Amino acid sequence: MEVMERKPNIYLPQIARITDVRDETPDTKTFVFRFRDQQAHDHFTWRPGQFVELSVFGLGEAPFGFASAPTRKENFEITIRAVGALTRALHALGPGDEVGIRGPLGNHFPFDEVQGRNILFIGGGIGLPPLRSLIQNMLDERDKFGEITILYGARTPTDLVYKSELKDWERRSDLKFMVTVDRSEPGWEGNVGMVPTLFPKAGVKPDGTVAYICGPPVMIRFVIQDLVSMGFADEDIISTLERHMKCGVGKCNHCCIGHKYVCRDGPVFSYQQMKGLLE
Amino acid sequence: MSRALRLEKNRWRDWVAALQRAATVIAPVHLHGADIAFDRIGSPAEATLDFENTQDSPKRFLFPQVEPLLRYQRNGGYQVQPLYDEEKRVIFGIRSCDVSAVRFFDLTLGVQDLPDTYYAVRRANTGFISLACHQPCGDAFCICANTGPFLSSGGGYDVQLTDLGGGHYLAEVDTPKGEELVGAAAELFSPAADENLSRRQALDAEAQKHFERDPRLYFAASSRKVSLDNVGEDLWRRMAQWCVSCGGCTNICPTCYCFNVTDAQLNGAGVRSRRWDSCQYPGLTREASGHNPRPEQLHRVKRRIFHKISYQYVARDGMQGCVGCGRCTRVCPGVRLGIPEIGEGIRRAEWK
Repeated sequence: MEVMERKPNIYLPQIARITDVRDETPDTKTFVFRFRDQQAHDHFTWRPGQFVELSVFGLGEAPFGFASAPTRKENFEITIRAVGALTRALHALGPGDEVGIRGPLGNHFPFDEVQGRNILFIGGGIGLPPLRSLIQNMLDERDKFGEITILYGARTPTDLVYKSELKDWERRSDLKFMVTVDRSEPGWEGNVGMVPTLFPKAGVKPDGTVAYICGPPVMIRFVIQDLVSMGFADEDIISTLERHMKCGVGKCNHCCIGHKYVCRDGPVFSYQQMKGLLE
Repeated sequence: MSRALRLEKNRWRDWVAALQRAATVIAPVHLHGADIAFDRIGSPAEATLDFENTQDSPKRFLFPQVEPLLRYQRNGGYQVQPLYDEEKRVIFGIRSCDVSAVRFFDLTLGVQDLPDTYYAVRRANTGFISLACHQPCGDAFCICANTGPFLSSGGGYDVQLTDLGGGHYLAEVDTPKGEELVGAAAELFSPAADENLSRRQALDAEAQKHFERDPRLYFAASSRKVSLDNVGEDLWRRMAQWCVSCGGCTNICPTCYCFNVTDAQLNGAGVRSRRWDSCQYPGLTREASGHNPRPEQLHRVKRRIFHKISYQYVARDGMQGCVGCGRCTRVCPGVRLGIPEIGEGIRRAEWK
């Protein structure tokens, strides 16, 4: 029998070490990873919007989007909220501990195609991390894009992630950044209200603008409705879909929506593409 | 490629014995009572070619119900080692529908641009010797799925056997692997004569007349409605009322390949395995938050049918996901919620 040329095993994780952990909110942390194997580390790159399957050995794998940009690729960051068994176990790990990483997986946010256009980011809660990957990437190549606006909302001021980076964005003159919370807390002097209440204040307009939205499904739904009624074209509204995923490579059939695999055909879809999905 | 040979009918077990020198032979064997199913055989005498179709397809020999993927161990740092099953196998006596199901796996699990590693390893080590069907089995509708009763060249078999009557099998060799398989016992085969080939064509044409079920299943009509989401929630609900979510239809289906992945750990060493899952289980889509995008059984029945017969999937995979074996109908403990019943219900827009 002929010798079979075996392709790389699509289920085999690479070992990565946690190099740093930062508390973001009471239930959310940002983990910084580096592959144990130097060659694996050197060859690793990704595009904003892509994700990894992260193994906590003994508990299995779960998918997480990149939270940092490939232009800052000395290490990669993932921001994770503790909601289930795997994420709680991950939160108990610290620098030096090892996990498995498979990736990068999935498609990515349109980047080259939107050069020269105005960019609008709309993030809700734990939906900001995948956008941050793209925001950092665009800020590192700032001259390729028009106006950049970032609108971010969370339940309370405590639930805001990347608090010091938000201050940097506030100070920058080459972007417009606004933040709001659903419920205020003592000491909060900023906006209160859902993210769409920022639209008039930020002067959101469709002209040549591409909108990137990440957040809870209910927020995404309302924001898309608002943008469509303001005149945004369906193909200029970019978001991500979420489904329970397992394999991350379009085999196990957990994340299907109609005939699309969120893991392989997504997770990034334009509103135009989303409307074509039958489920 | 295709080459036609002739094998004396009473020598097929000699061929099996020759194949066993280089591979494990999986063949239909008698289970308890009247059931016949695929299993590893010891002696060729255990195998039978006298059956309509096997209880289940040989799916588990390409995609096992539980399959270890890798071993991990903590020894200072973590060591991860993939676990491959590289046993050489010949699946002997597989029916046309199940061969077609392997072709479907090749287009999905094994799809060229991103092949499933474990499937690819097993597939490359497996040969298929199929048995064409003279008498289609009771629940079958392979004729509607274009997956039987006989297969033509390129249908997925390495060698296709046809009982010609008169003491001979025709052996159509269709692949290099098929040449290897007949080469294992070349002395048993002689070139087929023209009359053997015309006899085969006649048997194929005759078999097509003997479907017990109305073979005009109107896949096209049900498929059009499913693809356009024109079935109506009420009809799905009425069909799903009879579904007890047992997963029998998807387990027995030769083309179903949903799986879940789990880690099992003992003393710092562990194994990551995958096991069959089912779109008929609520847990397939339930998220960590508890939210389930397919909350009711009607959504899950709809999902199964969409994956089996929608044009969207035919276009994506290059082949329909139902091969017409009829096993889902037979295994269903409800009211035979098989593809033909559901297909007809959708076409007529009514459900008993």
